[in-house]
Amino acid sequence: MMAMFENLGLGLSVAFTLQNIFFCFIGCLIGTLVGVLPGVGPVATISILLPVTLSLDPTGALIMLAGIYYGAQYGGSTTAILVNIPGEATAVVTAIDGHEMAKKGQAGLALGLAAIGSFIAGTFATIVIAALAMPMTKLGLLFGPAEYFSLMIMGLVLAVVLAHGSLVKALAMIVAGVLLSCVGADMETGRERMTFGLQMLTDGIEFVVLAMGVFGFGEIFKNLADPEKRDVMRGTIGRLLPTLTELRQNLGAILRGTGLGSILGVLPGNGAILAPFASYALEKRISDRPQDFGKGVPQAVSGPESANNAGAQTSFIPLLTLGLPPNAVMALMVGAMMIQGIVPGPQVIQNNPDLFWGLVASMWIGNLMLVIINLPLIGVWVKLLKVPYRLLFPAIVAFCCIGLFSISNDAGQVIMAGILGLLGFALYKLQFEAAPLALGFVLGRLLEEKLRQALIISDGSMTTFLTSPLSAVLLLIGLVALIIAVLPSMRKSRDEIFTD
Amino acid sequence: MLKFTRRFALAVSVATISLAALPAMAQDYPSKPVTIVVSYAAGGGTDAIARVFAARFEKALGGRVIVENRPGAAANMGTDVAAKSDPDGYTLLIGNQGPMVVNPHIFKLRNDPAETLDPIAMIADATLVVVAGPRLQVNSMQELLKQAKAGELVYGSAGNASASHVATLLMGQMADIKLKHVPYKGAGPAINDLLGGHIDFMVTTVPSVIGLIQDGTLKALAVTGKDRFAALPDVPTVAESGLPEYSASAWYGLLGPKGLPEDVRTKVADATAKTLADPAFIESLRKDGGVPSHLVGQAFADFMAAERTRWGEVVKAADIKVE
Repeated sequence: MMAMFENLGLGLSVAFTLQNIFFCFIGCLIGTLVGVLPGVGPVATISILLPVTLSLDPTGALIMLAGIYYGAQYGGSTTAILVNIPGEATAVVTAIDGHEMAKKGQAGLALGLAAIGSFIAGTFATIVIAALAMPMTKLGLLFGPAEYFSLMIMGLVLAVVLAHGSLVKALAMIVAGVLLSCVGADMETGRERMTFGLQMLTDGIEFVVLAMGVFGFGEIFKNLADPEKRDVMRGTIGRLLPTLTELRQNLGAILRGTGLGSILGVLPGNGAILAPFASYALEKRISDRPQDFGKGVPQAVSGPESANNAGAQTSFIPLLTLGLPPNAVMALMVGAMMIQGIVPGPQVIQNNPDLFWGLVASMWIGNLMLVIINLPLIGVWVKLLKVPYRLLFPAIVAFCCIGLFSISNDAGQVIMAGILGLLGFALYKLQFEAAPLALGFVLGRLLEEKLRQALIISDGSMTTFLTSPLSAVLLLIGLVALIIAVLPSMRKSRDEIFTD
Repeated sequence: MLKFTRRFALAVSVATISLAALPAMAQDYPSKPVTIVVSYAAGGGTDAIARVFAARFEKALGGRVIVENRPGAAANMGTDVAAKSDPDGYTLLIGNQGPMVVNPHIFKLRNDPAETLDPIAMIADATLVVVAGPRLQVNSMQELLKQAKAGELVYGSAGNASASHVATLLMGQMADIKLKHVPYKGAGPAINDLLGGHIDFMVTTVPSVIGLIQDGTLKALAVTGKDRFAALPDVPTVAESGLPEYSASAWYGLLGPKGLPEDVRTKVADATAKTLADPAFIESLRKDGGVPSHLVGQAFADFMAAERTRWGEVVKAADIKVE
């Protein structure tokens, strides 16, 4: 314990130099802007800035790049709440209830809760990295293909609660999402599936493209089709800061979201992306008024936002302790380290303790900075909504297109998002929820990958999912959840939930 | 300041030329930024090598050089972009063995690299390394091969038909052993499962595991290249360890669309030769696990043709094919 404080002290002394505070601030500011702009993501931003970091000292460079990453996660919620368009793909969940709150005149409260939740999550996740980096690394390693698959199955079962409205429709959307995730070359044989010979589909559909299309463009179509609806939120913004009572009501959700996010963040293959979905599902499960979820429940914003931020931060753990990048942003960070002559891996903590602890400590400073940058900015963002929609929507479309293009410098991605936008609009017209589709898509990809990997390893034997204790426990939890859901006595209350 | 004025002068000359409505002449090359296409997303191994190269190539060429990531279509997108671009020297491609020589055996390509691209020079050759995880109790390549003979071992790869996959295929075929292949999406998740003991071993790029090797977390059994690798002097080659014919490496070359004007091509080739001799380039390349190559023009084309035949046989024997 003492060692941890000593280390954090060293980290703070590194991070609190004028130069590093400056880099941290720049990173957070750029990150916030990138996050707010729909479609423009941290990957494109960091790859553009990578050459610039060459001339900086390694610690400062990494502090800045890290700031861009978690700053973007932070900023993504702003667009989600205000215009129902996820600024970052991970803000899909925040948009569900966050935008409903905004419609009710609670935009300020939703943004405030997201900011405070993220700050608490960021603080907690910083401590997790400092104190538990090694055990958390081991936890991530426990999840082989079989365990990961069982986790996804458990997630799928719990996912149904994401829906409000018809259960059948929710299931249909999850299945559709899983099917969409299967588009593209088969991972084992390379055979193309559901690509219709289109080259832009060979590598499958990017989650960002799906999110920008179905949620972003879909929302714009929706607004243009029903001009009177979008004016609902013109009225008030409401308070920015939550009252103490509201804070107390949300504290549980924030802490649960933080816990979930911290754990899922260390899983390989970008487990952090699951965190907001998991938090939403959990909050709805334990809420005493689940029927209100989807209509603007504060806990459905504060929980997933905290989970998202905590996950974004703990996903640094495999990078820092093993040198393994769990997602594209981290891969760029590896690149930045190599350019600077630092070999990512377990020795970073011994060979470059100032860099390691400086980076960890800067995350906490960065989170503080994000609150300071964002709270006053909320007023500015909200003013943007006063801009007439006929001016606002072309701007949003333009930014979406720039962002989509920047994914792979390919106009095909923009076209694909446009088509998915039509799908999003059709879903809205037919009263299907798009969130279960997004979840099905996220889970589907991992589900297939891990199922096949597990079966290759076990020679096709299904028992592999039961012989691993961790996997068996996860499946058992899923099974219990399923039984509870179909038990006749529980059925009544569930029907109440879903027929609202 | 000097750079600024030179750029300014360049801009003026470009403006004058376009005013006079003359086509840009080759002796002015490069009069606008040169784009180097990379077939993978930013942050990967090929991207790293391309950026290291571009940074030094820019100086040798005397004009701006931009790296453009064009991932997609199993890395065949970049090939298409380069093949379809104007052969004016302003669009070049960093090609590596996947899309250049392995994919033609696996995918139905729109543009066959051998027919549509002009190989200028091979720029880097990076050895791969065989690493064993905690599940596999072996200390040498020979032991690994012996264990694999006794029972099927499981290896991970960075993806179907990736360098890490085909290098292991070749090893299995040469040693006449059966291995189980688990494809992952990139080296990262595969190394994660290797560390967790879910798979036995893998063949991967040096930078992706060097930290874990130095730390003793992973055991480096052999390097796949013809020679030992400077940063891992105690690790033998696979050829030294019982498979004398074996060699495999990840290589990277600079290519342009077919039909480059002769003088532009010469300028690009000269600048490439200068870059490959640049100590700063060699040093950065070393960090990325590579050594500069000296195969130029026809020699590089011949090398690619030989590689294509070789990997074609390996892939065919393993029966990987897209209908």
